[in-house]
Amino acid sequence: MALLAAVALGQTSVAVSPAPEVKNPLAGNPQAIQEGRSQFRFNCSMCHGVDAQGTQKAPSLTTGRWAHGGSDGELFRTVQHGVPGTLMPAQESILTETETWQVISYLRSLQKPATLAGDAARGREIFIGEGSCLSCHMVNGHGGRLGPDLSRLGAERSAAYLAESIRQPSAHLAEGITEPNKDLAQKYQTVEVITAQGKRIVGVALNEDSFSLQIMGMDQQLHLFLKSEVREVVHKPKSLMPPYPPEMLSDKELQDLVAYLAGLRGQP
Amino acid sequence: MKHKSLILVAVVAVALTAKAQVTYERLLKAPGAEPQNWLTFSGGYNGQRFSPLQQINTGNVQELAPQWIFQTGVMGKFEATPLVVDGVMYVTAQEDAAFALDARTGRPIWKYVRAVPEGVQPCCGHVNRGFAILGDKLFLATLDAHVVALDSRTGSVIWDVEAADYRQGYTFTVAPLAVKDKIIVGVSGGEYGVRGFIDAYDAGTGKRAWRFYTVPQPGEPGFDTWKGDGWKRGGAPAWVTGSYDPEMNLVYWATGNPSPSNYGGDRGGDNLFSNSVLALDADSGKLKWHFQFTPHDLHDWDATEVPVLLDAELNGKQRKLLLHANRNGFFYVLDRSDGKFLFAKPFARQTWAKGIGPDGRPELLPGGDPTPDGAKVCPGAIGATNFMSPSYSPQTGLFYVNVREQCDIFTTAPQVFHAGRAFLGSAYSMDADEKDWGALRALEPTTGEIKWEFRHHSAPWAGTLATAGGLVFAGDIEGNLIAFDAREGKVLWHFETGSALYASPITYSLNGRQYVAVASGQALVSFALPQGALEKKKSGR
Repeated sequence: MALLAAVALGQTSVAVSPAPEVKNPLAGNPQAIQEGRSQFRFNCSMCHGVDAQGTQKAPSLTTGRWAHGGSDGELFRTVQHGVPGTLMPAQESILTETETWQVISYLRSLQKPATLAGDAARGREIFIGEGSCLSCHMVNGHGGRLGPDLSRLGAERSAAYLAESIRQPSAHLAEGITEPNKDLAQKYQTVEVITAQGKRIVGVALNEDSFSLQIMGMDQQLHLFLKSEVREVVHKPKSLMPPYPPEMLSDKELQDLVAYLAGLRGQP
Repeated sequence: MKHKSLILVAVVAVALTAKAQVTYERLLKAPGAEPQNWLTFSGGYNGQRFSPLQQINTGNVQELAPQWIFQTGVMGKFEATPLVVDGVMYVTAQEDAAFALDARTGRPIWKYVRAVPEGVQPCCGHVNRGFAILGDKLFLATLDAHVVALDSRTGSVIWDVEAADYRQGYTFTVAPLAVKDKIIVGVSGGEYGVRGFIDAYDAGTGKRAWRFYTVPQPGEPGFDTWKGDGWKRGGAPAWVTGSYDPEMNLVYWATGNPSPSNYGGDRGGDNLFSNSVLALDADSGKLKWHFQFTPHDLHDWDATEVPVLLDAELNGKQRKLLLHANRNGFFYVLDRSDGKFLFAKPFARQTWAKGIGPDGRPELLPGGDPTPDGAKVCPGAIGATNFMSPSYSPQTGLFYVNVREQCDIFTTAPQVFHAGRAFLGSAYSMDADEKDWGALRALEPTTGEIKWEFRHHSAPWAGTLATAGGLVFAGDIEGNLIAFDAREGKVLWHFETGSALYASPITYSLNGRQYVAVASGQALVSFALPQGALEKKKSGR
């Protein structure tokens, strides 16, 4: 049977969060790194990727940039208790204290120094200026509603994923969930609805089942449909976000924009 | 006068007592002899999950409406199949909570609460799939690997026996099967390197009558299919309820993945009796035959899908068949008298085998094994179907299965084994570039041909129910319970229950009114036709 949900704690008692200054007792230990890799693979890789490089669900853990504190104690706390308000769940009933330190040892072994060369201030200018990004995306309460809210983007996505999303917005369009929890925003897939009267409404699917569809239209209004009452529903394997090729956005400008987006951590 | 009323009281008391006793003879004749009840996990020993009830039918199902909702108050996935006996519904829930309900009103009669220890380790949620009933006892297999008998009228514990040590990763989530005087259960724990087994307990005393280990020890038949010492933690759990053929006295019980599920380096060979269906003598537990669907599995493709028994003509010969829609994507038909492989055909997208050869073994395609960096294989680890029950309608001659269309990226790596800790040999992740979907498919069981399908928006986890009203019911992961025309697959009715469905529906009848019930979220929802519609029908209006 698939390991889908919580694996309950074994013989060890629930770990208490050490203070931020606590050091990993297994730091650099080769066997701990090996064990941590195993633990990471079956507890963390579904979101952070097999080698912690990040996926569309969660950021890379190889860059040396830690959204919620990078000391041993802070990493321990993040793993054990999760991050409220994000997709990062608490692992306290899954990983023992020892296993948590093993995972941290493994992650430390992967670190490559972060080299985000871009100018975040210039990136912000592009974002709110010539990029017109705010017409569709919201950041900290300002902006449009058609695309995903980007307020916490830097904490949730890898820089490589951000760059790809700008150059090729349609590259990873799947909704990214198999379960109905709807804990991931599904604001990716373009849907075109032809109503019974022949009216065409284009937008992104906010939710859908076999019988109904709820979309955010290009007019940034909610449109709610019963599939039995419309003429046609067409799913397009293409994002409504336009691609930004090098002739529109130079490599340097892309770096700047990614540097800005990677710094978005939500409202203070 | 006084004397007369005493006699009357005695007669009534006898009648009630007789009703409360669910004898083996009643189970043998279910569901045909008493379609108003739902007496076993699959409705009857043949695993067909078909009800002869037909008050709710293709002509009126559009009027089906909820009559009552019972809230369990327990979080987690509600995967149970309720039993209904003479007006009382018995249902288990998450955390091994259990309830007796008035099946007409949903009002609770009693509640059983279990102190589940903190250290239990079910792989996939603190779930339970239902009771078995025999005599005046209900039987529950628990998360801490005990088997428990409850008094059906009070919920009091009659006996409680430990089958295995939950600290080592053993758990039960299965609905037991009552056969003659025995209660049969299969263990969970394929993610923890357990040694799988199927047990039978004496219903009266709780004494273990037999145990069949699904991983042989040195010297036992099948041991030569394990190279290396991997057999010591070989898995092969047995966590879905089997079927039973009383004529041959054989219990058909399916088994799950070898451990670790994604790494085979320490367990060369076919790894019997993982991913197999076993035919066990119901009295002794002795193995009569076995058939392995996925030898040396590296994809977590447990064969723990309900075996459906059917007597039918195949290639001009009347046969006793066993139908099995397997997690690996193939629909298998075996002769259940001797386990002979008859044919297999894909019922879902699969990329790992060219087909199943005449010997019943898969003809492997290159690129199907997990790799250190990940290889895409269809179906994914959850499989083309899973524990959700299929059904068969003698009325249409079709087999119904809720199918998952999803691929995974499978990785593999050696892993150090620690007893009682998850033991997977790396992991799998969803193929992020392809949206999962699903379908209810109707198969012609003697050819495997797909007669019709209804496409689900997402891959489902809910089972099916076929009825003599010309209907088949199935659930989806968005929470819809859907009624289809069983012949053609047309959607006739659907209802959003408000939570993903992880259970299979049942049907029963009380005071002339047919109900359809299904578990959803924390709720058990029971549907019927509105009273007004039934009265209209009675008066001919």
